[in-house]
Amino acid sequence: MNTLSWSFLDILLVIALVLLAGAALRARSLRQSIILFIAFGLVTALVWARLRAPDVALAEAAIGAGLTGALLLTALRNRPSEESRLVSNNGMRWGGRWGNVAITVSVSLVALGIGWAVLYGMNDTQSGRLAGQVGSALELSGVSNPVTAVLLNFRAYDTLLELAVLLAALLGILSLGGGRATHCTVDPIATSLRGWLVPLLILTAGYQLWVGAHAPGGAFQAGALLAAAGVVQHLAGRAHAGLPVGAVLRVLMVSGIGIFMTMGLWTFLGGRGFLAYPQRWAGELILLIELFATLAIAVTLILCYLGSEPERRRITPAGSKP
Amino acid sequence: MEVDVLVLSVALPLCGALIAVAWPRRCEVVGMLTAFAVSVAAVLTLVQVLVVGALQHEMGGWTPGLGIALRVDILSAVFLVLVGLVVLASSVYATGYFGQPREKAHFWPMWLLLLAALNALVLSSDLFNVYVTLELLGLTAVSLAALSGQRAAIDAALRYLLVGLLGSMVYLAGVALLYLGYGTLDLPAIATQIESEPIAWLALCLMTGGLLLKTALFPLHFWLPPAHANAPAPVSAVLSALVVKAGFYLVMRLWIDLFPALLTPSTGLLLGIPGAAAVLWGSWQAFKAERLKLLAAYSTVAQLGYLFLGLALLFQLAPGPTRDVLFGGIVLMALTHGFAKAGLFLAAGMVQKRSGNDQISNLGGMAQRMPVTTFTIALAGVALIGLPPSGAFLGKWQLLSSALGLGQWLWVIVVATGSMLAAAYVFRVLERAFAGSSQPDAPVAIAREEWPALLLSAIAAVLLGVGSGWLWPLLGNDI
Repeated sequence: MNTLSWSFLDILLVIALVLLAGAALRARSLRQSIILFIAFGLVTALVWARLRAPDVALAEAAIGAGLTGALLLTALRNRPSEESRLVSNNGMRWGGRWGNVAITVSVSLVALGIGWAVLYGMNDTQSGRLAGQVGSALELSGVSNPVTAVLLNFRAYDTLLELAVLLAALLGILSLGGGRATHCTVDPIATSLRGWLVPLLILTAGYQLWVGAHAPGGAFQAGALLAAAGVVQHLAGRAHAGLPVGAVLRVLMVSGIGIFMTMGLWTFLGGRGFLAYPQRWAGELILLIELFATLAIAVTLILCYLGSEPERRRITPAGSKP
Repeated sequence: MEVDVLVLSVALPLCGALIAVAWPRRCEVVGMLTAFAVSVAAVLTLVQVLVVGALQHEMGGWTPGLGIALRVDILSAVFLVLVGLVVLASSVYATGYFGQPREKAHFWPMWLLLLAALNALVLSSDLFNVYVTLELLGLTAVSLAALSGQRAAIDAALRYLLVGLLGSMVYLAGVALLYLGYGTLDLPAIATQIESEPIAWLALCLMTGGLLLKTALFPLHFWLPPAHANAPAPVSAVLSALVVKAGFYLVMRLWIDLFPALLTPSTGLLLGIPGAAAVLWGSWQAFKAERLKLLAAYSTVAQLGYLFLGLALLFQLAPGPTRDVLFGGIVLMALTHGFAKAGLFLAAGMVQKRSGNDQISNLGGMAQRMPVTTFTIALAGVALIGLPPSGAFLGKWQLLSSALGLGQWLWVIVVATGSMLAAAYVFRVLERAFAGSSQPDAPVAIAREEWPALLLSAIAAVLLGVGSGWLWPLLGNDI
């Protein structure tokens, strides 16, 4: 396609994004709102792809649209008898119409301010300087995908703490989710899909994990795909969604941070500094960390979806790995 | 080889949390050991900073900017020690407070993650990394606040969650602007480049605004009293003493280290005026509160006000010894409040547990029934009012003398009124506590729960005041 049709597509995407966001906010029922939100997430993923950020696009599609949507729909289903409750047109319950006006005005002001500051105050020579640094240090990182290099080497400490954030969110959900029934209604479509969808998802997850070293992909995307396999299992009637139980599950939950901490303390006590991988092995070590991070992320997302740990007695022999 | 102990302040609690998740049956032992080890690491870090000066650890061995650096100076080291000691004392208390294995298995992993988040936040010198620590802190704090599972606690925690997320998003928008403008996230690197221009101003507004929401500065404090008053006692102690203080710490860091090029003497009023309002409103609400824990929560709103009021005065002073002394005074007030409020909340938790509720009108006879707890509340009260020899007395004294030195007597009236109201609400509690009950019960003594609270209050009311002669000059060197 030529430049003109690309820019036409871009304009369409931008318009669709704004319209979907508005529609999701103004939808008359929560269910509609959620479905519009999922559509919004998919369009956002396209926008990221057009902005040449395929890693973000993949993550947005898998997590932003897919799993968040599934979580929201489950939350809606678990609301007792309030499912079809209409959201009042004013949406916000805090302060009604004037509250809405205040929120709209303040958000618009901030948006205008940001736009103004960016246009007026941005220093062209400065932006992108860090990208240059990453480029020149890339060959020391052990991987050739700059995004993976940043996430798992240059700023691995951020990723470590982000895994801790995921764990904290999961622990928070588990500490509240006591009374929830774990039984699920069997969806006939999901049951027939399961046979080929689950292996396909697992395969794609493995590919994403592997390819992350030199092309867009990585632990977060792979983990999300693996989690999707678990959600499909659950929809197809497997109450434990392919998860192990008890101690194995709890170890899997922390395996991502666990491997990170092991590496970190190993290099730290070896006198190299926390998470300073030996350069020769950096690529292999990053893959190892990503492998366990993928498992931990998948288990975390599935457990968030389930809302509580699957019970021990519900094990069925057919349960495959998530 | 010299080991950078500052890394351990983050690594130890993270490891502890992992083990506590994977091994729920032993989580209490793991939690206690970790809390103890972290306190030791904090004290060692302070010693190391005193001996060799500010330290830096480059994570992954990458230069800051490309990678992330942890930095510790005397200010962050002192905060590390505050965090370590308050969490250690609250942990000892928590071993007695939580009885059910289920409660323990939920409490300890999140508690240790919260500890990791606090330490990581204090040590971070990378603006995006600070955002990640804020998220970790916010999520663990919310989950812990909802731990009792009661309706009021969950409502308050949900509001806390939404406010916290809004605060971090707004902060992150500011960080994005700074990255756009200056091409790095490393705090010292930005500080050398920053100029008074639109992008920097907007970033200052957004980052400060987001943090103030999390710090509950008046009028953004609406979420704090229900969240802090309905959480389990050890959690309330840490939320009030440390978690909101983390927001204050960041505002202080940003305004002093990152944005000084933008600030004029009057900019500080943007913090000072809400601070003054917080002192008056918070103290008044605390005076009117029906419940002991609600009183303590509103008192936090007021005490945070003093800190921001102090910052407003600080930015009007020219660099020099007067400014250094005031800075030391502000930090001393923050520390005193941290220890005193933790002690007060733990004591309030004792009262609530023994008598089923914490209505102030039901406190009659407490002085006979729970002498140690009553003494704890009295000591914490001394520190909250700002009576000598507490650290807050010296801090407030410095606040007043700076205000008078600048000829701004309105601040003096605010501080005096706030202290008067504080005296009123503390003595209201003590008056009830000493009022005899018709049938004096035998005194109860539970060392595991009483002594941590008493020690915290004693540090606030006595040790920080007496020891300030040593601490104060060190803090001044920092700015």
